[in-house]
Amino acid sequence: MQQELLRVEGLRTVFQTSSGLVRAVDGVDLSVARGRTLGIVGESGCGKSMLSLSIMRLVPQPGRTVDGKVLLEGRNLLDIPTGDMRQVRGGQIAMIFQEPMTSLNPVHTVGRQIVEAMKVHSPKDSAAALKEQAIAALKRVRIPSPERRFDEYPHQLSGGMRQRVMIAMALACRPRLLIADEPTTALDVTVQAQILDLLRELQAETGMSIILITHDLGVVAEMADDVAVMYAGKVVERTSARALFEDPQHPYTLGLLGSVPRLDEDRDRLLAIEGAVPPPFAFPDGCRFNPRCPFAIARCRTEMPPLRLVEDGHEVACHRAPIEKALAMESAA
Amino acid sequence: MADIGASAAAVVAPVPASMPKRPGMLRRLVREPVAAIALAIVVLLVLVALLAPWLAPTGPFDNDLSVALSVPGTEGLMLGADGQGRNMITRLLYGLRATLMMGVASVLLGGVVGALVGFAAAFYRRIDGLLMRLMDMLLSFPAILFGLAIAAILGPGISTIILALSVATVPLMARIVRGSAMVVMRQDYIEAARATGMSDARLILRHLAPNCLSPLFVFATLRFGQVILLGSALSFLGLGAQAPMAELGAMASEGRDFLFFAPHIAVIPCLLIFTIVLAFNLLGDALRDALDPRLRV
Repeated sequence: MQQELLRVEGLRTVFQTSSGLVRAVDGVDLSVARGRTLGIVGESGCGKSMLSLSIMRLVPQPGRTVDGKVLLEGRNLLDIPTGDMRQVRGGQIAMIFQEPMTSLNPVHTVGRQIVEAMKVHSPKDSAAALKEQAIAALKRVRIPSPERRFDEYPHQLSGGMRQRVMIAMALACRPRLLIADEPTTALDVTVQAQILDLLRELQAETGMSIILITHDLGVVAEMADDVAVMYAGKVVERTSARALFEDPQHPYTLGLLGSVPRLDEDRDRLLAIEGAVPPPFAFPDGCRFNPRCPFAIARCRTEMPPLRLVEDGHEVACHRAPIEKALAMESAA
Repeated sequence: MADIGASAAAVVAPVPASMPKRPGMLRRLVREPVAAIALAIVVLLVLVALLAPWLAPTGPFDNDLSVALSVPGTEGLMLGADGQGRNMITRLLYGLRATLMMGVASVLLGGVVGALVGFAAAFYRRIDGLLMRLMDMLLSFPAILFGLAIAAILGPGISTIILALSVATVPLMARIVRGSAMVVMRQDYIEAARATGMSDARLILRHLAPNCLSPLFVFATLRFGQVILLGSALSFLGLGAQAPMAELGAMASEGRDFLFFAPHIAVIPCLLIFTIVLAFNLLGDALRDALDPRLRV
């Protein structure tokens, strides 16, 4: 096991709304190793983005992180003063967002925005030094003629270029962890591949860890070392990327994989998971996946399954895992 | 079918990497002849007011009772003289100076405080309710009432008027700024900037404020016209500039006594007030058109 950089324990983020208490993140445990990439997968609304905002302590009102720990190299980020947390943001943990078109401020040049982000963490540097570093940061994300781009406004750049600028800004202060929230969702497929390649190269150069949040299993297969599958605010399966694709255990993961077209299979139809994610203020009793689960038994409707180890390095939150064994027993009986 | 495809392609045609620069704000503003005239009048008025001591033919308080109530066109007195025999041109120049200064000071003071309240309300949602109910309270009093109340405490004078008009401007500016700031707060770049560890003050100053400026400027310009009108009304009621100080509203008030046999003493300052208010209103409208992103080409 590699050295651990970030550990999340029992993280709980809730929203008090008029229709009830919304448990967006409900007792999540995660671990990110140094220099590795953790993919977090799940449908829209499963709490992926709230998880990342909780780690950054940027949960929007009226949300609150009510329980749990976020340990960055042993230091619990949920306990430190706001001023220290600001130093962590952008300094040790940086974040890039889904929409490169709207994540840059339209009234400032891209250079100025990168300089602003760097100034937060090295306020003593001279303007000239900061500019030089910003141009170096643009160069690092392979932006052609960075000196010229420095003085351009976001609307003059393409989507892929803007995402590169966002990455340059995020990496300007050499963070140890990059949280990428759906970094390629808004981009063309070819540009997606370029951005993912770039992230991988930068990871190799700097040795940073990445949390990659996505709903795209293809991106996970390409990028992630480890994977956590989220459903309705909980982690339902946690293992290495290889094990996830070779031996998925949770029925939800099976469903997700079944809905991806593959070249090496001859199938007329893709499987789809019946139904939709339940609204977060009305989660069902027991396992939250049980109304959509083809393997559900009586126990699934009353008792929430905990995350448990079914194989070496493979944790699943399902009463019926390992599922092959359960099905074999059923057919024998 | 082919037509539709072609026109769609034209609509989504990629923007060239190096777009020609959009015509500047000023150029878009003066494209309209009305706006250009309004801007010219405003610039002229401001210049004349600034240069009043050099342009005025006499000192502001020099009087010659032998020419009192002279009508415009009298030898050496192009616009006549007032009841004290003071040159109307001199009085108008100094009056314009005082009136514009009063307007600038109230809009600046009230606008800055109001904008700060608006930004705070949009940024710190927790105190939004409290701040905006306070603003509603201020909004429920007419500006004239503020003027009367403040004059009762501080005594009449031009600073009383400035204070009253500033207080009356604060809630209006706060509402407008809060409205546009709340839209900006929902933008992704605010969250992205937060994620870089930026402090609240910096976030407001660098990212929030610059994106809220156009409605703020438009309102300030329009408000300037209203403030001049209100200030002149307060001066007319005797709460503002005190004799012998020249101020357009106060001049109109003084001229009231001679309305039947020397109407120019009241009418000319009123015409000047009218011109100022009209010019600023037209300029404000033109500014709104020029800054409106939906009208940009």
